Amino acid sequence: MNRLAAAAIVVATAFAIVVPFFLKPFGIYLLSLWAVLTIAAIGLNLTLGYAGQVSLAQGAFIGIGAYTTALLTQAGVPYALAFVAAGALSFAIGWLLGYPALRVQHHYLAFVTLAFTTLVFLVLRNEEWLTGGIYGISGIMRPVFFGWSTAKPLDFYFLCLGVLIALSLATWWMVRSPWGRAFVALRENPVRALSLGLDTRRYTLMVFAIGSSLGGLSGALFAPLVQFLEPASFGLNRSFDLLLMVIVGGSGYFFGPFVGALVSVLLPEWTRIAEGYYLLVYAALVMVLMPLCPAGVIGLLERVLKALNRRPGTAASARVVEQ
Amino acid sequence: MSAVLQVSNLRKSFGGITAVNDVSFEVEEGEILGIIGPNGSGKSTLFNCVLGQLLPTSGEVRIEGKPVTGMRPCDLNQLGVSRTFQLLQIFPQLSVRDNLVLAGQEHQGTMFSRLVGRSDAGLTGAAEQMISFFRLSHLADDQAGSLSYGQQKLLDAAMAFMAGPRLVLLDEPAGGVNLTMLAHLRERLETYQRERKATFVVIEHQMEFVMALCTRVLVLAEGRIIAEGKPADVRRDPAVIAAYLGH
Repeated sequence: MNRLAAAAIVVATAFAIVVPFFLKPFGIYLLSLWAVLTIAAIGLNLTLGYAGQVSLAQGAFIGIGAYTTALLTQAGVPYALAFVAAGALSFAIGWLLGYPALRVQHHYLAFVTLAFTTLVFLVLRNEEWLTGGIYGISGIMRPVFFGWSTAKPLDFYFLCLGVLIALSLATWWMVRSPWGRAFVALRENPVRALSLGLDTRRYTLMVFAIGSSLGGLSGALFAPLVQFLEPASFGLNRSFDLLLMVIVGGSGYFFGPFVGALVSVLLPEWTRIAEGYYLLVYAALVMVLMPLCPAGVIGLLERVLKALNRRPGTAASARVVEQ
Repeated sequence: MSAVLQVSNLRKSFGGITAVNDVSFEVEEGEILGIIGPNGSGKSTLFNCVLGQLLPTSGEVRIEGKPVTGMRPCDLNQLGVSRTFQLLQIFPQLSVRDNLVLAGQEHQGTMFSRLVGRSDAGLTGAAEQMISFFRLSHLADDQAGSLSYGQQKLLDAAMAFMAGPRLVLLDEPAGGVNLTMLAHLRERLETYQRERKATFVVIEHQMEFVMALCTRVLVLAEGRIIAEGKPADVRRDPAVIAAYLGH
């Protein structure tokens, strides 16, 4: 099983490196968008999937990160510093947003975070002096690192992929550390966790802050990817979309957000052949997937692999019968 | 030398109902105190007040002489106080081993070192020992939720001991456990207590279990202590018989 997972990671990474060379700019843009949104989905998966804290605010944190980066870089701050600032600001705001989670849970918490997303959207739309209001911010330049310009789609894609890999490794380290176990304890049994010496208050705030900072870092890449920001990109739709990514991919599974973001970014494009009905097709597919496999695509894969491992003879004979 | 646990004039009211009414007692080091009483007599509320799950209306709790009234459960745990709950409280999605590592990890290093250090917080060996002590070795890699009720009850108790506590409060450890498993659980608790010189406070309805395990018994009825003494004496106490049988 572990060997299989390692092989899958190697193949997927090779795919992510090689495939863009054969794609047109729009295809590369879609892959870049996948990498960027996967980072935000990893953050939400940490908050929701591992720690069980429902959040509908991840879209807002992409917005906070994106606007912070755009404003700072246009003010002459180097991109790397703006990137760090986007993560740090989202961490601080995420920490504060964690406080309601100490008092309310589940759908009540969902409403608190939903209200936060609306608040951020209204600030982005109404505070024209800072954010440009409905006119947004345009002309966001892609960064240059030591003479390497990421202005071209392929270069920028590799920047996004590099950041995704680095942040994935950091998150992987965290979820397999005692912190990851503590996050799962928050989801599974916070009362017992508290009696075992876990400072559930600190871990709850921390998981909100880290999840939000990943949203902010995703936004720091989103801004130079699209090069034009408007408030509507960071409203409730974006947060629901990210929630869908985490749940469709497999909430609480490390690779869930990777698959979920891929489905969310690519499926609407593939279903465009249905013309105006593509969103209907997409929605119907999600509706079919959820009751059949609430643990998402990765959960479904895990079930299939377990079934094959348990009864290899039966599975093989079933295939023979089908033939 | 002060007692390990001192409870003084503890009172807990919910609106007009007083669940725990002016309760005082002490537990000496190495003692196994049993707390018995009919349903609704205030036993679990007393535990929850002692362990910071509930804030008492009045009164004081001291651990080894240190006032801890209203202290958060996680801080009490860091002082060497551990507990089990009336209803099973495990982490069903984690393996048996991970449940035990989790139960001990917050006692290892700092928050930062737990992030950058080893994923098992250096506790795999201790977890294996505890798994073996409670004879769950064949289940170490299984998901805790897949264990039988009795095995989960053993795991629940094992988790309370993982950090090597000096004081353990067990809330109905025998509840729902069959007789074979119960004898095993009692024997394990006695062995642990003997080897580690730990102090136990046990809430239990299963009288045979209490009589065999505890060195002293305290009887609660309607939030008050109505009897206290050696198990055999308490069992014969007319007030206790009346409280249990209602006459």
